[in-house]
Amino acid sequence: MKLNVNGIEREIDSPLLTPLLFVLREELGITSPKAGCQQGGCGACTVLIEGEPRRSCLVPVAAVNGAGVTTLEGIGTAEHLAPIQQAFVHHYGMQCGFCTPGILLAAHAYIEGGGGDDKRAISEALAGHVCRCTGYVKILAAVSAAARGDSFDLTMTTGTPTTTFVAGVTE
Amino acid sequence: MKAVGARLPRYDGTAHVTGRTVFVDDVRVPGTLWAKALRSPVHHADITGLDTSKAEAMKGVHAVITHADVPLLEYGHLSALGIPADEPLLAKEGVRYKGQPIALVAAEDEETAMEAVAAIEVEFAEKPALFDIRLALDPDAPTVHHWGNIYPHFEGPMDRRQIRKGDIDWAFDHADLIVEGVYRPAAIEHCPLETQVCQVVPEADGRLTIYTCSQALYFSMGVVASHLQVPLNKLKLVGGTVGGGFGGKVDTASETMTALLAMKAARPVKWRWTREEEFLCSTTRAAWHMEIADAVTSDGWILGRKMLTLHDSGAYARFSPYGVTKHSFHHTGAYTIPNLSFDGYVVFTNRTPSTAMRGFGVTSVSFAVETHMNRIAELLDMDPFEIRLKNANRIGDTSPNGVVYTDPSTVQTIHVMAEEVGHELPADYRTMTRGPRDGELLPEHLLAQVGDPEAH
Repeated sequence: MKLNVNGIEREIDSPLLTPLLFVLREELGITSPKAGCQQGGCGACTVLIEGEPRRSCLVPVAAVNGAGVTTLEGIGTAEHLAPIQQAFVHHYGMQCGFCTPGILLAAHAYIEGGGGDDKRAISEALAGHVCRCTGYVKILAAVSAAARGDSFDLTMTTGTPTTTFVAGVTE
Repeated sequence: MKAVGARLPRYDGTAHVTGRTVFVDDVRVPGTLWAKALRSPVHHADITGLDTSKAEAMKGVHAVITHADVPLLEYGHLSALGIPADEPLLAKEGVRYKGQPIALVAAEDEETAMEAVAAIEVEFAEKPALFDIRLALDPDAPTVHHWGNIYPHFEGPMDRRQIRKGDIDWAFDHADLIVEGVYRPAAIEHCPLETQVCQVVPEADGRLTIYTCSQALYFSMGVVASHLQVPLNKLKLVGGTVGGGFGGKVDTASETMTALLAMKAARPVKWRWTREEEFLCSTTRAAWHMEIADAVTSDGWILGRKMLTLHDSGAYARFSPYGVTKHSFHHTGAYTIPNLSFDGYVVFTNRTPSTAMRGFGVTSVSFAVETHMNRIAELLDMDPFEIRLKNANRIGDTSPNGVVYTDPSTVQTIHVMAEEVGHELPADYRTMTRGPRDGELLPEHLLAQVGDPEAH
């Protein structure tokens, strides 16, 4: 079998019914897709197959023989972040980071597919992606910002305090 | 205070968005064996037979461990504080909760490990189980724990966390109204996206490298060293990257057993729990039962509080005594009540052991206290903001456990809340400060509890 992973042709030796998730993680050493539930329930293993978000834990590798697969490693690097990656950094769209690869890929596919700054449509696109840290608000803000085409300042190392909150202010 | 209010980048932000963060499951060690656990399929039973010989003889199986392989079988999570241990690392005489680990296997791959677990022969004599903390002291309730159904090791022989402050009888004699409430928040699974996972590597120099998802790395180091009876310098723990914890990765759940497998097999071993194991066998936030009775005056002073708390510890003590102690210190919430009678019990049941979760012991009592404050306000036909401000902690007030408040923030917090929701406060409440009590805010019943913040 063959897969085109992040633009590179790879020969696959895993047995036919191996979930794509473990072909990527164990055979190819690509660890951004996570084994969150292995039942299709959490979204952490999401990758793009021919551009469409799919749960890699539920996809037997033989079913996608020859297909193009994109993982988070394939949409940008630390030096050249994709807009959706910049948006997540700027808007604090992640905390522990475990659900982040799946959510980012679903959001990336939404925007690549022409999705706009529409809360309802974004929520639909991210439906089924579980995050236990953020409460989703900052994730939705990040996707909205990327969909609007905002530019992001990632050098915010100092900045000015935006509020003055000092203990005992009402004393 | 350069950071407060400033936009700072997350130190791990770029790594997270590029998939370069290395969680424990992402550590790659060639030759790693897979671990699987035989867990109790029943809630409560004596173990009458355990035979691992068939599993040990299977091709591809490198190690099987049971209670007999653990140098120090029982080590309590609070042993370092002098609290006696009650939980075996692997079940020996019996099981007290469904999912309790009995034996573990390390094999060449996950399928072989699962087959080996299935080949372990274990026999149980089932016993009746207890799930409702309210029934724990009934004469016909099943006995869950060798200490009885109530944790008996608070100071000396105390079977509860007890607080007595002021004169509770005086408070109830002088009340215009007694306001009662019962509050019962349920158990909650932390449900981190990353399940429990551990990778252990036996190194050539005799040390063990333990890749851990622990939220409490140095604490886990002590627990592992105690069970294994090895000095700390034999262990190298690598952690700091946690795929969600919320308290559910405070208990040392996987490190010790994975380490034992790695030592016995003399190979690297990984143990990654399934989502099903995470839900069925991992710790939860405890279920609580809280009964409050407040002695209240018609103008909104809370003269006294009687409170009974039952905390569902599950099958073993773990950190529950600590959680109930914190709970007791916070049982008046952000408010000053001078006369108190509090009793908090750690109750054993045949549920998975409970543990910390986001405000251990405090979240439950805050829910009860704040709901109760609204209930009092409604019965007195008072503004819920005003009754909170009236009873708010002030500089010089004393907490239930006798600490003098030097920096309370109740008044400012309620002012900000009122402003945020557009709630108009009368002038005397709007200008209220957190400063020491005087005038109308220092009625006779609050005099005796006032302490000296300078002496703190």
